[in-house]
Order: sequence, then structure tokens, then C-alpha cells
Amino acid sequence: MQTSMFKKIVQIVAFLSFILVTYFAMQACGFKIEALQKGLKDGMFFLTAMFPPNWTDFKSMVAPALETLALSILGTLLGSLVSFIIAIFAASNISNKWVKLFIRSFISIERSIPELFILLILIAAYGLGALSAVLALMIGCIGMLGKLFADAIEETPTSLIESMKASGASKIQIIYYGILPDVFPKLISYALFRLEINIRLSVMLGAIGAGGIGFELDYAFSMLQYNRALSSLIMVLILVIGIEQLSAYIRKRLLINQI
Amino acid sequence: MIKAVNLTKQLPNGKLLLNDISFEVRKGEFLGILGPSGAGKTLTLKSLIGLLDLTKGEVWIEESNNEHINIFKTKAKVLKKLRTKIALIFQGYHLVQRATAIDNVLMGRLGSISTFRSLIFGFNEIEKNAAMSSLEKVNMQHLAQAKVASLSGGEKQRVAIARALFQEPNLLLADEPISSLDPKNAKIIMGILKELSTLFPVIGVFHQPELCAKYCSRIIAIKDGKKVYDGPPVLEETLLEFIYGEELAIVIPEKYAN
Repeated sequence: MQTSMFKKIVQIVAFLSFILVTYFAMQACGFKIEALQKGLKDGMFFLTAMFPPNWTDFKSMVAPALETLALSILGTLLGSLVSFIIAIFAASNISNKWVKLFIRSFISIERSIPELFILLILIAAYGLGALSAVLALMIGCIGMLGKLFADAIEETPTSLIESMKASGASKIQIIYYGILPDVFPKLISYALFRLEINIRLSVMLGAIGAGGIGFELDYAFSMLQYNRALSSLIMVLILVIGIEQLSAYIRKRLLINQI
Repeated sequence: MIKAVNLTKQLPNGKLLLNDISFEVRKGEFLGILGPSGAGKTLTLKSLIGLLDLTKGEVWIEESNNEHINIFKTKAKVLKKLRTKIALIFQGYHLVQRATAIDNVLMGRLGSISTFRSLIFGFNEIEKNAAMSSLEKVNMQHLAQAKVASLSGGEKQRVAIARALFQEPNLLLADEPISSLDPKNAKIIMGILKELSTLFPVIGVFHQPELCAKYCSRIIAIKDGKKVYDGPPVLEETLLEFIYGEELAIVIPEKYAN
């Protein structure tokens, strides 16, 4: 029986628990509020040192930004293709029980591995550069797109798949004619969403050797050229926000045109 | 002609889902399978095309050359060819929503086209014309280019039937084809199925005994996995009560009473 008195008590206990957990978490990781206050002054000085951005250098940021864009698009494209093939084996309506279980576990495991780690291993194998970056992004897609695509494929009604099977269609025909047409808008939508994530990832991975605008940003900071750093940061913002807006626009149009 | 012999399906815990079901259906017959929910009607239908693993039993299908084939004991290649001649329609959700009506009809013959050809070249003019005439037979040619998602329930079922016709089948199986249709469209579909039975045997699972009594040429009733009636479509109160028990009130709503 939930009287309002009971609910009040639950709320108070929840709130107190929240305070306690926050306190102990801060103790555990050495998070000190006084340090936060002290650093504020230094941080402000740092930020003002970055202004104004170096507009001459800004022009030289365009090529690296385009490089990052290209890496992200290629990585997302290849990643979507690979994820779709994997997703077919992970969908319960067209895969067998054991294969599905195995592939789904594989997808979950991939999801837990940070892309940073994947890139470092690839650099050890292929060296610095575009190949490692694209492969890292491509592999990174599997954890998310593999699951989303598989779930989307599972939405295809079993009666459709069974009537195609009953009339003798092959597995590939069932996928191409029966599943793909209806699931396609969802695939595009998820891929675009992943593109947004991959752009942000590319910038981060760029700093560790993938190249592009991320590299420029990291380089400028390490050379203490703060104005140049701000220019590259502005370029990053333009790139990320630009892609997010474009992606959101296309996805909204896809949603409206569902029929 | 299709002949089911002693179809039996037993679960590991001993329960019998199908209990020794046998019957034969020929061209010219429109067979209606009736029974309460869970009786085993859909399982029987699925057994007829080999989509269910039976504990015991055989299904014999007569090929165009008078040869009889046991579908559980044939090689995969022969079975696949056999399947291209068996059409199957469901209650709903068995069409590709974003594709046009004619595209859906064309999918009926995928079984007889090699995967390679279908993927690279698609369908040829002859096939497209034949698909159009299938649509004409169910009066849907004017909606050939319409996306299936924009069609009504009755129209969707007619597209499904056109797809079945396009297969030029030797047998048509229907699993509750009118259950999600309003009375007017239900009768249109039943009429079409009855007409088709002159070309090949039509077997349908239904929850609408009154419509079966009107359109089917023969009825089989299944209860608890056993066949309890096999004969002319004359259904008296006592028989219906015996088949359906408590479900009778749900199964015969007023809207069909005319």
C-alpha cells in the first residue's frame, strides 16, 4: 500500500543515498572542490591566451578537416557494409539459433572495446595513416550498427520470410527482395547517426596519429601555438556541427517519407 | 493432388500436437480446415509443405507428370522445384511494404529464377506481363504501381493472391487469409479462392465456419490435434458446439449472419 507518507519517505531516502554515493565517489577518486576553484583562474588565463584565433592558419585547416571528413565517411560506409553482413547472421528470423547467439556475443564484445585501443593495435600492424584510421572506424561500427541492423532485420515479419521460403526462394533472394527494401531507410538512418559519432571519433583518433584536423589540434597545443589551436578547434566545431545538422536533416526527411 | 498420411507431431513431454491426421485433396476442391485455437490447424498446413518436423507421417504430392513425391523424403533440389509450385498466403504481413504491388507479385517466381539472374538482371518483360495479368485476375491492375503500404487490407490480400497465381501453382494453401478483413472483403476473397479451386486444389485454415459453409466444397475439423470431421460443408449447431465448445460465441459474430 503506497500512502503519500510512504512515498515521501522513499523520496528522502533516495535523495540522501544520492548525496552519500556522490560523497564517497568523490573521496574514492580524489575529486576536490577546492582544486576546482583554484584551477578556474588558470583555466581562464589559458582560454584568453588562445584568443584571437589565427585566421591565416585557418585556411590551412581546411585540407585536414576534409581529410577527417573523408576518413569518417569511408569508415562509416565500409563499417555499414560489414555490419550489415554480420547483422544477417545475428537476426533470429533468418539465422540459426546457435550462429545468432555466437554472432550477437561477438558484436557485444566488440562494443566494449574502445576505438582508441583498436586504433593503437592497427597502428602497430599497419603504421600511422589513413588505412589504420579507416579500419579502426570500420571495426568500431560493428558493435553499434551490428546490433541496430540486426534488430531492424528482425522486424521483418516471419510470415513474409516463410511465404518466400515456401515458394522456393533462396536465402539471398529472401534478403535482397524481402528484407532489404523495407529495412533500408532504417539502415541509412542508423548509418548517418554513426557517421556523426565517427566524425567526433576521427578528431580524437587524429590526435594519436590518424591525421586530419585532430592531428592539427593536438600538434598546435603541443607546440604551444594557442591561437593556431583555437583556429583548428573552430574548424572542428564547424565540421562536427555541420555533419550533425546534415545528418539530422536527412534522417528527418527519411522518417517523413516512410511510405 | 495432395495426400497427408498419419501426420503426427509429439512434443518431448509427450503432448500430441498432431494426432494421426490423414486426408486427401484434389483439383476442384476448396477445403476449409476449422477448429478452435491451438487445435493444430496451422501446424497441419505447415506440414503439408514440409515447414514442420513431424514425429511420424508422410505427405504425398502429385507432380504434373503423375509422379507422386513424398516431400519428407525428397532431395533438396526436387523439393525446391516442388515448392515453386505451391503457393502460400497468410493472414497478413506477408508482403514487402515499400515495394509496389507488381514487384510483390513478381517475387512469386523467385524460386524458379537463379539467384544470380534475379540479383543482376531482375525480371524480364515476359515475366512482367504475366505479373500484370495475374493482377488483372484479381482486379488489381490499376494499382500495380502503388506501394503496398498504401493499400487496404482487402487489396493487400488480393496482391498476395495475385502473387500466388503468378507462381502457376499446383496447390494453394491459405492460413487464415480473411481473419483481418472486414465482412465485404472477406467475401470477395472467399469468392476468388473458390474460383481458383477449379484450377488447382485450395486448402485454407479458417476461423469463420459460416463463410466456410458457404464457399468451401468440403470441410475438415481439427480438435486437440485430431481430425473430428471430414465431409460436406453442412454445419449444424451440435457439430459446431462439439468442435468449438466455449469458443463458439466468439467464432460466430452477428456480422456474418445473412
